[in-house]
Amino acid sequence: MLIEILEKNGSKIIRHDENIIIALVSNKKLKKVAKELFDAGCYYATGVGVDERPKNGAFAMYHILNCEDEKRYVIIKTFAEELKIPSITPVICGANWAEREAMDMIGIEFEGHPEPERLIMPDDWPNGVYPLRKEFHYNQKVPAIEVKPKKRKKDPKIMEVPVGPFHPTLHEPESFELYIEGEKIVGASYRGFHVHRGLEKLAEERLTLNQVPFLAERICGICGFTHNCAYCQAVEDAAKIEVPERAEYIRTILLEVERLHSHLLWFGVACHLLGFDSGFMHTWRIREAFMDIAELLTGNRKTYGMNLVGGVRRDIDENKKKKLLEILDKTKKETKEILDNVAEMKELINRMEGVGVLPKKEAREIGVVGPVARASGIDTDIRRDHPYAAYGELDFKVPVYKEGDVLARFLVRYEETFESFWIVEQALDQMPQGEILNEDYELPEFAYGLGYTEAPRGEDVHFVITEGGNKLYRWRPRAPTYNNLPAVPIMLMGEKLADAPIIIASIDPCFSCTDHVAIIEKGRVCRCSLEEYLRLKR
Amino acid sequence: MFEKSLWVFHLNSGSCNGCDIEILNIFAPKQDVERFGIKLVGSPRHADAIAFTGPVTRECLPKVIEAFKAVPEPKIVLAIGSCACGGGIWYDTYAVIGGVKELYKILKEEYNIEPPTTIFIPGCPPKPEAIIYGAALARGVVEQKQKREIYVEELDEKTERDIVEILFGESTGTRHFLPQITVKNSEESKNEP
Repeated sequence: MLIEILEKNGSKIIRHDENIIIALVSNKKLKKVAKELFDAGCYYATGVGVDERPKNGAFAMYHILNCEDEKRYVIIKTFAEELKIPSITPVICGANWAEREAMDMIGIEFEGHPEPERLIMPDDWPNGVYPLRKEFHYNQKVPAIEVKPKKRKKDPKIMEVPVGPFHPTLHEPESFELYIEGEKIVGASYRGFHVHRGLEKLAEERLTLNQVPFLAERICGICGFTHNCAYCQAVEDAAKIEVPERAEYIRTILLEVERLHSHLLWFGVACHLLGFDSGFMHTWRIREAFMDIAELLTGNRKTYGMNLVGGVRRDIDENKKKKLLEILDKTKKETKEILDNVAEMKELINRMEGVGVLPKKEAREIGVVGPVARASGIDTDIRRDHPYAAYGELDFKVPVYKEGDVLARFLVRYEETFESFWIVEQALDQMPQGEILNEDYELPEFAYGLGYTEAPRGEDVHFVITEGGNKLYRWRPRAPTYNNLPAVPIMLMGEKLADAPIIIASIDPCFSCTDHVAIIEKGRVCRCSLEEYLRLKR
Repeated sequence: MFEKSLWVFHLNSGSCNGCDIEILNIFAPKQDVERFGIKLVGSPRHADAIAFTGPVTRECLPKVIEAFKAVPEPKIVLAIGSCACGGGIWYDTYAVIGGVKELYKILKEEYNIEPPTTIFIPGCPPKPEAIIYGAALARGVVEQKQKREIYVEELDEKTERDIVEILFGESTGTRHFLPQITVKNSEESKNEP
């Protein structure tokens, strides 16, 4: 059906295979195509602006959509005519951030965008300097310009409560501003993207193909391995590289170990925020075992340095396997004990039940992913829908809850944790013998690749355009929090101030992932304004 | 400098979370540094030391400076992770200032603030044990691990001073923790087994 929509509108199909359709759509038809694709059940994954002037003489915009029914990604490409492309944000609200990002990093203008404001760089960044254009060098120091803080209207009834950028509950430099009336939250704004480190430009200009995995790992200190896995898969997809089966299994094992430690970390933080500090201490004590596993398998507790394009760098031998199984056996019992205790505590359940509800309709519109989507009744999991690594050969369940509250998100993660134990055990058992790294490949010129993984927080999408040799033309990672964060104001609306920390934490936000490119979001978080959100809520 | 409990304010200037999680880790049961009186505090006003992570991004810079100024003197900075120590892999990108030393330069130039005593704990991320060692170093409980011995043919006071100055030209004016430098006569080294 997707292909019919594209062909009907006269688009040129560039690539068409099992997982991915890439089509060139004309500027006039873009909005119509986007609308039809959205109605056909696609949600917006990400958008990528590319400076293609050296190749095609124009700027291009790629909108990447994920179709759950057909289990395929659709990439629609458009060229900018005199730097202008029609905006699809009025049709798909999830495109808001991506388009504004392209606006700031590349300098494309989106016609009809509801709020075409500066998004990307810091306030003191001069206008007209676009870091992702090819003539800009990664180490260029741009002098700051003077900025005056904007004046805001103040309502005497509404109080502002700033949270961040350095706040004891956050541990990351992001700032939330909550507007409260008495104890009730009536509005929220997020001003983030403090962690923009110029990663994409660095990869394009300074690093080579096999150095980027190590950079990708440093996007995030918690879910780094999924990022570099997604990157490697994107390049493997672009260059049609076959990965040895054993390497796929090793990747799977590490991905699941990462999910385990990430989920345990979240349980700890959630317990801490709910005032149950023993829970925090116990989960973090158990989590230490997974850090030991990571160190045993890879040599580092956090940044593993395992992936290369074409395979992995270190093998898992019998000795390690035996030790790993021993640790897993022990931790499984401990995890079950502590999490069951938490799930049976009435005080905790009362604080989570019915709090921070995200209805399915809004969840779909914004395009939330991962546990947040699954807690709102959307049955989605990249591991099952688009099998990568060795997931196609393993058996696991995907928990889905309809309630959409904090408790549902807790339970989704609870069930996933035990599924992860089961996946690691299976993978260790089924792992075939053989090579672990395929180095026999050549990188084609200007080929597209898409890599996707299910990170602990949701869907990770990496889009790659190769340059040939051992360089990349463009690399665009998109982290799950990028999609999940716009849903937070909906969850916060009408709740008590005391519940705000657990609601914000319930999406398991990872800001450093999201901020690999800088976007400043002020006052509003999605297409809808505060009033519109309030209306939605009622 | 601090003889009693060390209260730490965690300042993340755009790090990837790796170091931040390891900082939290040392408060978890395995290491549990609270038994040594080390405690994370919520407000910079209460802190003796700053656990500094991240390469200082451009967006963060003004806020980091605010938080930095809010910590009362005397203070210690624990620069945790490669990014904080020297900017990490992004040390020279357009969006990054590049570690604590660059931050100190800005503080010195614009606000005339002298750099505080800094303990560098490199690693990506450093192990929790290394962070604890750094904290112990701040208290003077342990000795600095990184040492440097230089051998010269003819040793006198002037050459010794010169070598130290050349090696740490810029840093000598500041109060950084530096690798201990010992300049020795090369004749001596030959006699050693």
